[in-house]
Amino acid sequence: MEEYKGKIRLILRQYPYKYRDYSHIAAEAVLAAGDQGKYWEMHDILLKKSPKLDRESLISYAAELELDMKRFTNDLDTMKHLDIIKRDIALAEALDLYNTPTIFINGRKVIGNRPYEYIKKIIDEELQHAEK
Amino acid sequence: MLKNNSAIFCMVFFLLFGFCDTSVSGDLESIKTIPIARNNPQTPEKVELGKMLFFDRRLSGDGTMSCVTCHIPELGFTDGQAISLSYPTTKHWRNTQTVLNSAFFKALFHDGRAESLEDQALFPILSAFEMNQNLDYLEEELRAVPDYLEAFRRAFGTDDITRQRIAMALAAFERTLISRNAPIDKYLDGYEGALSAEAKKGLKIFTGKGKCAECHDGVALSDNKYHSLNVPENVAFEKDPRVAAARRFVAKFNHFEEFRTLKEDPGRYLITKEDSDWKAFRTPTLREISRTAPYMHNGIFETLDEVIEFFDRGGGSGNSALNPLGLTQEEKKVLKVFLIEALTGDTIELKHPDVP
Repeated sequence: MEEYKGKIRLILRQYPYKYRDYSHIAAEAVLAAGDQGKYWEMHDILLKKSPKLDRESLISYAAELELDMKRFTNDLDTMKHLDIIKRDIALAEALDLYNTPTIFINGRKVIGNRPYEYIKKIIDEELQHAEK
Repeated sequence: MLKNNSAIFCMVFFLLFGFCDTSVSGDLESIKTIPIARNNPQTPEKVELGKMLFFDRRLSGDGTMSCVTCHIPELGFTDGQAISLSYPTTKHWRNTQTVLNSAFFKALFHDGRAESLEDQALFPILSAFEMNQNLDYLEEELRAVPDYLEAFRRAFGTDDITRQRIAMALAAFERTLISRNAPIDKYLDGYEGALSAEAKKGLKIFTGKGKCAECHDGVALSDNKYHSLNVPENVAFEKDPRVAAARRFVAKFNHFEEFRTLKEDPGRYLITKEDSDWKAFRTPTLREISRTAPYMHNGIFETLDEVIEFFDRGGGSGNSALNPLGLTQEEKKVLKVFLIEALTGDTIELKHPDVP
């Protein structure tokens, strides 16, 4: 994102894997952190710490980020963002997407974990098209 | 839609299917007929069923993956990754091969462990790090879908759904995925103008100084044999614990004694236990090569330039199969032109079937 500052926008949708114990609660955690302005910080921690994503671990990551712990824990336990997560899952399934990560770069679908160079090439091509 | 497709398939079958095995080592052959299995005759109904199954996520344990997940039509029926996409939470350890022209192979997979497309079809469905499905369950899952009962009845005469029939239908569909109108075929059939001047020079390198045709010959552009070229291990994945798990799992499954400490891909050795097969892999087809990057069994090379350089320097360190070629820059250039221009057929426009 730093390399393309001001040129591209990254939008992330939740798609918790249905057979992973903690994927749903992790999605709740990142959205709860987002409510307190720390979405990407929590997102990065979760990627780094995965698969240690149980409730207690998530709460400890929130503490690391100095979030309002009462609010965060309440959001987590009441599944405050359930509707958003359900909406994202429905969107993915409507688009026939079942693999994570799936990235759309200006509409071009990229499935699976790819090297940065692979994604950069597509971004550069799309930026060129956009400039024309 | 089914009726229209059936009519097209009928025409294609009458024109193309037959038997051929007349290759002479080093000779290139154009596509004239498609080999079919004697015990699995092609019918439009079976092909249509195979296509439905190819696109159906029921074939994976968690319902997230179909054959198309890794064999994406727009990417030359590969996934464009160094190592294949894999079942959620796992990682693969080898590169996805294209399904295109797989009808011409006498053995399937990098290590040749399957002797027919029918034999091949069930491996990925069962594999823990591919589709991770249970075949007994899959049979019952499909049997619960009325449209599948009807499709199996149309294809096989009765609606019995068995793993053998699933494999037969998938294989029948895969035999329709063939390169069409590749310039090399037209050229070999006598149409001089099918190749540009540069591509013709590349062809000379391919069959001469480059020695490519010594292994990439026949209609498949593969000798269907196994060679140890000492392709470097892909360090990007070497230390990944999930890749290591897949490697050890396959080694364990194949009764490789030191599976827990295995750090490289033994290739064909895992199947035969012959020393000469250590790190040997089946010669891949070069048809559609421009669409099927990255290359080699572990996707170590992203471009054809890297592949040509690898062969020009005589392959990997310590191998005894290849010698340095001493190609000039111009020779490498025209060889690449040949590989891209001559071996690429029409794009296959595959309509997504209505999966019940």
